[in-house]
Amino acid sequence: MSGIIISGLSHSYPGGTVEIENLELYEGERLVLYGPNGSGKTTTLRLLAGTLAGGPSIDTAYLPQRPIAFRGSAGWNLTLGLDQSAHPTAQRLAQEMGVSQLLDRPARRLSGGERQRLALARVLARPEPIVLLDEPLAALDVSDRASVAALVNKALGGRSAIVVTHDREIAAALGDRIAVMIDGRIRQVGTPQEVFTQPADEMVADALGIGNVLGGEVMEIDGPLIGLKVGPVVVWGLGEGAEGSSARAIFGAEAVTVYAGTSPNAGSARNTWEGTVEEVRPAGRLMEVLIDCGPRVAALVTPGSMEALGLAAGSKATVAVKATAVRVLSA
Amino acid sequence: MEFIVDTLGNAFSVVAEFGPELRKVLALTLWVSGSATIIGVCLGVPLGVALGLGRFRGRGAVTALVNTGMGMPPVLAGLLLLMLLWNDGPLGSWGLLFTPAAMVAAQALLAVPIAAGVTAAGIRALSPDTREQLASLRLGRWTQGVVAAREAWPAVVGAAAAAFGRVIAEVGAVLIVGGNIAGETRVLTTAIVQESRRANFGTALGLGIVLLLLALFVNGVLTHFQLKEAT
Repeated sequence: MSGIIISGLSHSYPGGTVEIENLELYEGERLVLYGPNGSGKTTTLRLLAGTLAGGPSIDTAYLPQRPIAFRGSAGWNLTLGLDQSAHPTAQRLAQEMGVSQLLDRPARRLSGGERQRLALARVLARPEPIVLLDEPLAALDVSDRASVAALVNKALGGRSAIVVTHDREIAAALGDRIAVMIDGRIRQVGTPQEVFTQPADEMVADALGIGNVLGGEVMEIDGPLIGLKVGPVVVWGLGEGAEGSSARAIFGAEAVTVYAGTSPNAGSARNTWEGTVEEVRPAGRLMEVLIDCGPRVAALVTPGSMEALGLAAGSKATVAVKATAVRVLSA
Repeated sequence: MEFIVDTLGNAFSVVAEFGPELRKVLALTLWVSGSATIIGVCLGVPLGVALGLGRFRGRGAVTALVNTGMGMPPVLAGLLLLMLLWNDGPLGSWGLLFTPAAMVAAQALLAVPIAAGVTAAGIRALSPDTREQLASLRLGRWTQGVVAAREAWPAVVGAAAAAFGRVIAEVGAVLIVGGNIAGETRVLTTAIVQESRRANFGTALGLGIVLLLLALFVNGVLTHFQLKEAT
């Protein structure tokens, strides 16, 4: 099993043109294809899957965007197109996805989320070394996405996968690397940290929204809150994860409050960290402040607040983020 | 007015009497048109699925042929088959002319394009999402066709109904290759033609009513299957 290099992929369709000069998928990697609606993500995946003519010939398992249930039982749908030898894997995955009790039912009676879990179990049971997933979690309840993302990650094992999404949390949680696609072209490829905190240009920043993705290890669990050790600080957030496992904390820059100085009254926020302002730069009508607290945290403030707080590169600052504004997703 | 009343009276008595001759004609009609429909569905539905799904060479030409075949005049189908089965024709040695088998063949010739055309339209009408999902599963051709036909189930049953409607109503093809021989190749439509020519309007109308009832019954059965939510 090895990675692939996608190069010279070009396709025009009524909505636009997909043009990929060079995109590498490493062995065992989860590459997230991220971008706004209509940016050509699905077209790219279809070209790679071969359901749209004109792509390279590669051996892939492919989950299309919308889960379609064919007439017949859910169990029949589950194993459709699978070799007999893959049936036990599909059954096990269906169980993990929480749909094994539905297999006797007509597939068309299942909810959108149940169909998607069924389709995920089916595609993940396929033997191909490269898996293409188009919006695999979009049909699921928001509250279930993190756990299913973890299941998908586990089921993929050592296989490579390209996952299309326009959900920033999914992108950050699932992706080893993120390729940002805008208007049919890849604008930036990098780790979630790189892409979210150092967008290549304004279009990428726009598409992503400025955010924080901090990778660490689950240190403590306190009810619904997970404490993630990120460098010298502990980031508290809502989510799932087992102690000792690696996870990512994701929160928007707009959720970060900035105080000047080192020991101000930072309110009741559980996440309060001190640091040094690294950089201040304009972000549309707001200012983006990057503060080194151990991990680097991005915050959005108004130009007025900037002045009132006296923030500038090198000055001390304290940041606060409510734990409920932070999502912790297992990596 | 009296003429109409008399004719209607005669027609209803023909239906009510339901004599042995009528029963024989009805049985042969059902046998010939039923067989032709079954052959039409067995050949036409797979052809329609292939046309609706596939991207094979010559698909455009086959589609044009099928669409033309849907409008093929029955007398022409009868004539072509007559030439084939004629004593000096290529299949003359089979001795099928003026037998029910020839009539089945003639009607099947009419049924296949209808079944194929309606099925292909139904398959093409499957949503792009359904087609994408189907393509993504990497099924064998046969399985892919079966799944697609199941998805287009109302169209497939519609194809059967259209094929049956086409053959049960036609007279030209069966008349040419069957010859309307009493007790052997006479079916309801050819009998209606014969009785009309003899000015036996009551009998002709009675046969017509039986024909309509037969079509109503068969279509009722098919509609039941069509509307049944196949899950």
